[in-house]
Amino acid sequence: MFYTQVADGKLKKFVLCEACAQAKGITDPEGLLMAEELLGAAPPKPEAAGVFPFESQDKCKGCGFTLEDFRKVGRLGCPDCYRAFSGEISQRLPSMHKGLSHTGYIPEGLVKQQALRYELSNLTTQLESAVSEENYEEAAKIRDRMEELEKGEEAVTS
Amino acid sequence: MMRFATLLKHPADWMAAQNEETSVVLTSRVRLARNIAHAPFPGWARKKERQAVRESLQGKLESLPGMKDGFSHELSDLDPLQKQVLVERHLISREQAARSEGSGSVVNRKQTLSLMINEEDHLRIQAIRPSLQLKEAYKLAHSVDRKLEGSLEFAVDPKLGYLTACPTNLGTGMRASSMLHLPGLVLSDQIGQVLKGINKLGLAVRGLYGEGTESLGNLYQISNQSTLGESEEAILDRLTKVIGDVARYETQARRRLIVEDPVMVKDRIGRAAGTLTYARIITSKEALNHLSMLRLGADLDIMPGELVEICDRLFMETQPAHLQWSAGKKLQPEARDILRAQMIREHLHSSLPPAIDISGKEN
Repeated sequence: MFYTQVADGKLKKFVLCEACAQAKGITDPEGLLMAEELLGAAPPKPEAAGVFPFESQDKCKGCGFTLEDFRKVGRLGCPDCYRAFSGEISQRLPSMHKGLSHTGYIPEGLVKQQALRYELSNLTTQLESAVSEENYEEAAKIRDRMEELEKGEEAVTS
Repeated sequence: MMRFATLLKHPADWMAAQNEETSVVLTSRVRLARNIAHAPFPGWARKKERQAVRESLQGKLESLPGMKDGFSHELSDLDPLQKQVLVERHLISREQAARSEGSGSVVNRKQTLSLMINEEDHLRIQAIRPSLQLKEAYKLAHSVDRKLEGSLEFAVDPKLGYLTACPTNLGTGMRASSMLHLPGLVLSDQIGQVLKGINKLGLAVRGLYGEGTESLGNLYQISNQSTLGESEEAILDRLTKVIGDVARYETQARRRLIVEDPVMVKDRIGRAAGTLTYARIITSKEALNHLSMLRLGADLDIMPGELVEICDRLFMETQPAHLQWSAGKKLQPEARDILRAQMIREHLHSSLPPAIDISGKEN
């Protein structure tokens, strides 16, 4: 179903299947506010806090290594494969290691930098969708936030 | 930069240190696996990508403190024999020796620090110390890691730690191991039990050259298995404790043997001395096993004390590649066995001269 919302001069268009729409309460007029909450402000992905979502793609977008390759050789194609095949990997970790999360040394600057980059890439996506929705007010806000973060990144890296 | 020949002329400083403490635990090694963020791992990368990683790393590694007069080579510049020598010295892994272009090795003059480029991971930082000094070895490797992270972006995830080609190295990326000489536990038939106990504690036991190698010369490597879920310090504490315990069991086993079964122990040591001083043809395996007994004899004061150091040198120098390197040419196994026997006799001559000279006109 198609769903268009206008609020505070913002125009938002959504395409939802019936099941999703029902789940989000959009079919119910009273549920519209809840829909706004759910769709408008997507919760930050757990990745930002370092937890990969449990998913297994067939292929790593970064390097082209496949899940099948991993199953065959037990090794990965590139560091980003850990994200692509996180579902498969997380099943194997308990038999290999004492724990499931890292408690050892971590380069502080690097972690900050990577978190920033992750947020920047999220904001880029949001910016694109704001522009395509002709929501320029929102786009400007996102752009300002990105500029702020970019300054922060320079401070971390230099 | 140091030439290959110069590297080989000098024993590594961890090979030369001889004291009470090295009577059981010969060496301690710590290696950290690191990868460049977003770059494909060496096993999956194209030749070009591997070369690019090597080029970006090699210069940085060479300019590390203490590396100026070190050894730095692309492995494809070395011949198979030279690579094998580095494997026997534990400066590169067997796996890396088999890798093609784009792989490199940077070693400091003292051979306490060995940096491997494009092994299974983009970079492996390995530090080696004599005796049970895992924490000291870690400190050294960690200091290099910290210097490099200023100019390199390593692949790290806040939850999973350092991301490595194989998930078995994930987290700290740290493998810490010690090489132990355990003839007492072998002779008293306790070794099986001890190894089982070590395995139960979640630690790995391997032979002389790591994974999948058999134990020769009663030499065993004990290392951590898990790299995720515990801090480096916790892993090193646990390993140090277990290795210290094993070393104590070994010392006790030796003491008990010499009290309870002196004839058997002396028989084994005496036969080893006889074979090594008179043999004209000896395989690497036979040599290692006899040298192990001779070293035990020296540790137990049955044999002259200086033999400990001589045996340790011979452990290394009678290995096939070292032997051929010293001969200056490739040798068939039969020729190697003859040369090995000769080298051993020469090294043992001053401490253990043969009662009768049987050389005659052979040389």
